[in-house]
Amino acid sequence: MTRSAVLAGIGSFLPSRRVTNEHLTARLDTSDEWIRTRTGIRQRYFAEPGTTTSDLAAEAGARAMKSAGLAEVDAVVLATTTPDRPCPATAPTVAAKLGLVGCPAFDVQAVCTGFVYALATACGLLAAGGADTVLVIGAEMFSTILNPADRTTSVIFGDGAGAMVVRAARAADGGAIGPFDLGSDGTGADLITVRAGGAEQRRGRSAPTAGDEYFSMAGREVFRQAVEHMAASARAVLSRAGWQAGDIDWLACHQANLRILVRLADVLGIPEARVLANIAAVGNTSAASIPLVLDQAHQAGRFQAGDRLLLSAFGGGLTWGSTVLTWPDLTRP
Amino acid sequence: MADLTYEDLVSILVEKFAVQPELIRPGITFGDLEIDSLFLVELLLVVEREVQAAIPDDAISAQDTLERAVDIVREQVTAAGTR
Repeated sequence: MTRSAVLAGIGSFLPSRRVTNEHLTARLDTSDEWIRTRTGIRQRYFAEPGTTTSDLAAEAGARAMKSAGLAEVDAVVLATTTPDRPCPATAPTVAAKLGLVGCPAFDVQAVCTGFVYALATACGLLAAGGADTVLVIGAEMFSTILNPADRTTSVIFGDGAGAMVVRAARAADGGAIGPFDLGSDGTGADLITVRAGGAEQRRGRSAPTAGDEYFSMAGREVFRQAVEHMAASARAVLSRAGWQAGDIDWLACHQANLRILVRLADVLGIPEARVLANIAAVGNTSAASIPLVLDQAHQAGRFQAGDRLLLSAFGGGLTWGSTVLTWPDLTRP
Repeated sequence: MADLTYEDLVSILVEKFAVQPELIRPGITFGDLEIDSLFLVELLLVVEREVQAAIPDDAISAQDTLERAVDIVREQVTAAGTR
């Protein structure tokens, strides 16, 4: 019998320090209006000193496991661009913080597409029989890699974490996840990047340029590519699932920029009222954004069992990915 | 492929970019309407859907007037049609 993957639990966590646009405009040459009109963002959360990505991940993971009614899982897959350390992976630390010493745990790096890649990886583990339950987490602390002098990126990103528990089930069960569409284009690696800190710079011929240790993004080019790749990927996955855009109850895409979400919905022919957006309140949380927006919508009671969701993301790599899921009968905390 | 008229551009600016109609005239630049390079990329994505032809990101700049932008789009549509 074919094993398929279903959503069994969901949770999220935001650090305590709320940073409004006004906080940032005090030191950056920008304004609340400039930020809101271009990105839709009003505030974001930054982790306090002493907090690490694994802390955010473990808290979101614990909440997802509680939602699933599980005290343990068979594997932990963490999507992050901001690991606790360059080596080792952060997932084993997260697993240990959850009391899961011994279970397989590893990181997936696909920047803002990370959660969709990690979810696909988890579904693969279930299908291969390597696990019956997998905790999939997206957790980021972009506040640690933002260039304080770059007003374009400084105002966009925030810290946070979101997680799902997926379990193996019969295909007919509620909460079915998939199929997936994933892709990459490494010729665009320079568009979204932290240039320094890796082998390229450490064994490079010239010393790193000031600022290379920080995250940078080519906003204009990324805007276009994000809309075009997410739209193509979303269409591909809808076609594989045998769904039409009109079948979609909720579009849950990576919260990159409100204007990208609006444009994507328009291109796909999905009404704006069907678009999940929490970017105004949390900013762009990269790999955490999809489980975070889904968990907040779930907690607000917006989903009914059987609702059809389309998930789509685009990020550094370049990478992109989409999937569909049918919302399960999950109780709210 | 379809054409983009000045009136089409005006309605896009008003409906999708919240530009105040009283500010709009053929000789005004995008920069004067506070449409910067990021908004221009978004505008081009909308225009591309209208005219069903690809337009490069650098085809229109913030210094271009609305009138000039309509001409540029027309040239791009014509070029796409003869390619």
